[in-house]
Amino acid sequence: MPRLSDTMEEGRIGRWLKREGDSFREGDVIAEIETDKATMEFQAYDDGTVLRIIVDDGETAALGAPIAIVGEAGEEVAEPAEQPAEPEPEKTGSDPNFSREAPPSDVTSAPAGGNGKAEVLRVSPIARRMADTAGLDLRSLAGKGSGPDGRIVKADVERALQGATPVPGTDVAPAPEPSPPAVSAPGEGDEVRELSPMLKAVARRMTESKTTVPHFYVSSEIDMTRALQLRKELNEALADSGEKVSVNDLIVRASAQALVQHPQAHRSYVDGTHVYHAHAHVGIAVALDDGLIVPVLRDADTKSLRQIAVEARDLVERARAGKLRQNEIEGGTFTVSNMGMLGVSAFAAIINPPESTILAVSATIQRPVVRDGAVAVGDIMSVTLSCDHRACSGADGARLLQTVKRHLEAPTLLLA
Amino acid sequence: MADVTYREALRRALDEELDRDRDVFLMGEEIGKFEGSYKVTAGLWQKYGAERVRETPISEEGFVGAGIGAAMMGLRPVVEIMTINFILVAMDQVVNHAAKIRYMFGGTVGVPLVIRTPGGAGAQLTAQHSQSLEAWFAGCPGLKVVAPSNPADAYGMLKTAIRDDDPVLFCENLVLYNVTGTVPENGDFTVPIGVAAVAKEGDDLTIVAHSYTVQRALRVADRLGQDGISVEVIDLRSLRPLDVDTVVESVRKTNRVLVAEEGWSTFGVGAELAARIQKACFDDLDAPVERVGAAEVPMPYSKPLELAALPLESKIEAAARSLLRECGL
Repeated sequence: MPRLSDTMEEGRIGRWLKREGDSFREGDVIAEIETDKATMEFQAYDDGTVLRIIVDDGETAALGAPIAIVGEAGEEVAEPAEQPAEPEPEKTGSDPNFSREAPPSDVTSAPAGGNGKAEVLRVSPIARRMADTAGLDLRSLAGKGSGPDGRIVKADVERALQGATPVPGTDVAPAPEPSPPAVSAPGEGDEVRELSPMLKAVARRMTESKTTVPHFYVSSEIDMTRALQLRKELNEALADSGEKVSVNDLIVRASAQALVQHPQAHRSYVDGTHVYHAHAHVGIAVALDDGLIVPVLRDADTKSLRQIAVEARDLVERARAGKLRQNEIEGGTFTVSNMGMLGVSAFAAIINPPESTILAVSATIQRPVVRDGAVAVGDIMSVTLSCDHRACSGADGARLLQTVKRHLEAPTLLLA
Repeated sequence: MADVTYREALRRALDEELDRDRDVFLMGEEIGKFEGSYKVTAGLWQKYGAERVRETPISEEGFVGAGIGAAMMGLRPVVEIMTINFILVAMDQVVNHAAKIRYMFGGTVGVPLVIRTPGGAGAQLTAQHSQSLEAWFAGCPGLKVVAPSNPADAYGMLKTAIRDDDPVLFCENLVLYNVTGTVPENGDFTVPIGVAAVAKEGDDLTIVAHSYTVQRALRVADRLGQDGISVEVIDLRSLRPLDVDTVVESVRKTNRVLVAEEGWSTFGVGAELAARIQKACFDDLDAPVERVGAAEVPMPYSKPLELAALPLESKIEAAARSLLRECGL
């Protein structure tokens, strides 16, 4: 299973485009593979013939696990051992049938974090000894090691042992009831389904963000009356070209302009340093039927509203079709999450690390507003900016939001 | 017990041994009237005379050889080499003669010689005068190599070295000379060769060091202690013989170990210890043995580059924290 996204730990074969016996040339797409982020095309590294498919359409395999055997047409393939659902540990590298044609880089260079490389259980010697002594099955900690490459270390075993039931027989107070599981067991008629790789990644990354990134929130109400007027005029003028500017494009443009004006709100906290971003690469959160993906519109600060509109439309369409390339879902410095079309009045979003800010955009609602001392009807949009406090202060976040608001309320600035 | 400098502790040990044993005498460059480049022999020429505090020409090979000959004939010479960098011209005398004679004479003749010499860096003495070469000698059977880290050990181990019947390379450190500490007033106080000390007890991580690096390690341990990390510091004191047992006992307790030294890591003290530790403590380790040493370059003259090349506390601390992070701490 090749690494087709930075964060994938397993992949699901969407479908094989070459079946057993089919030959292919270097660069041919031989399979579609669903990663945690997108459905990717898997291209052949070399000419050859598919001799045996190990992981069939719709099946999932861990990173680096064999998915097929390829070679010369007519070549004998040794009968593989019973193929377990999870690939046999240690087998990947040494299987002579596979090693020759295995995807070259992925097995050796994968800098797997957390529970990567599920096929090898890495355990520090002392952790292994402690687990042996205590009768702890280390496989229960697979993927949970806190050492490099997910190595299970002493601290992990200690935590696991502390969580175990205390040894009975001493005359201390009765052991406390085990705490109830976080989620109740499925009830009558409920259905339990495996998460797709993408949903797993979303679950993991959002948990990581919400538990390790100190979020704070800044909210504002933006009067969109003039921005909507501008959009209307633009779309009338562009009607012949078929181009269309969305409210979201206005927000992306305003955000990109604001980000480069406020470097302190446009930097990432990485390992005790601040990485200042030279250009605004704006992620646009796209809801899928069951999932979410964030294509990145690069260098948005250097692009006109019209360019942004064209590129954003293309990205969103391909996001929905599962046709994004890996480099189109990486490298964002900011994200816009817009649920305006769903009519929400307010919400806050979880930061997508290493980005340090995300703008949650709610519906634009007609409301009475006071203008020049008189009550008028205004198109009011409520927004909330989530900020990583390690990267920016409250005032930094507020200033960024203030500039976004100013540009949307005086929207000729969006054309500047 | 009053606080004295490392320099004074050495001077006092020399004085007392000269006084105690007529066979003890000192040899070296400018150690008499000038009292030695680092003033370790201050007042001894005046007190014991030119016969027993002998000035030599700049001729390390010659006067180390003279010391070996005197030792073979029953005297107990203490030869000062101005810095360990200059011992290189006497390498043949040290490695091929002092270290070999007892063996090659079938045990009939020993070489009760002490070579005192400081190493270390940090004063912009640049590439040729900033080395810590003790590990080279610690790999040579027939020699004893010691490198005390504080005044009390310097005092006690120099006495032991002088009374030892075999050649001892006594490694000092330029920065250590002004370090102060308590030294027992009792003239019978000695410290054995080949026994490491637990300089500070701890539970989470062992830092092993020798000579001045022990002082650095203790300060790193203090800083980590403020973050609730309990560091044990092992002061090797002797490199040959090497007290592996004390290190092993500590690693079995902490499961994590970092070896720091002022010399280069490659083929250094840390390399030797890493091998010993993985052999004795394989099932006790929670992470690979970590090493910190000087950058693998000739020591630069430029101050910023010199600081960048030295295994300063910041580097030891960073390596310790990184190792602990690998262990989920």
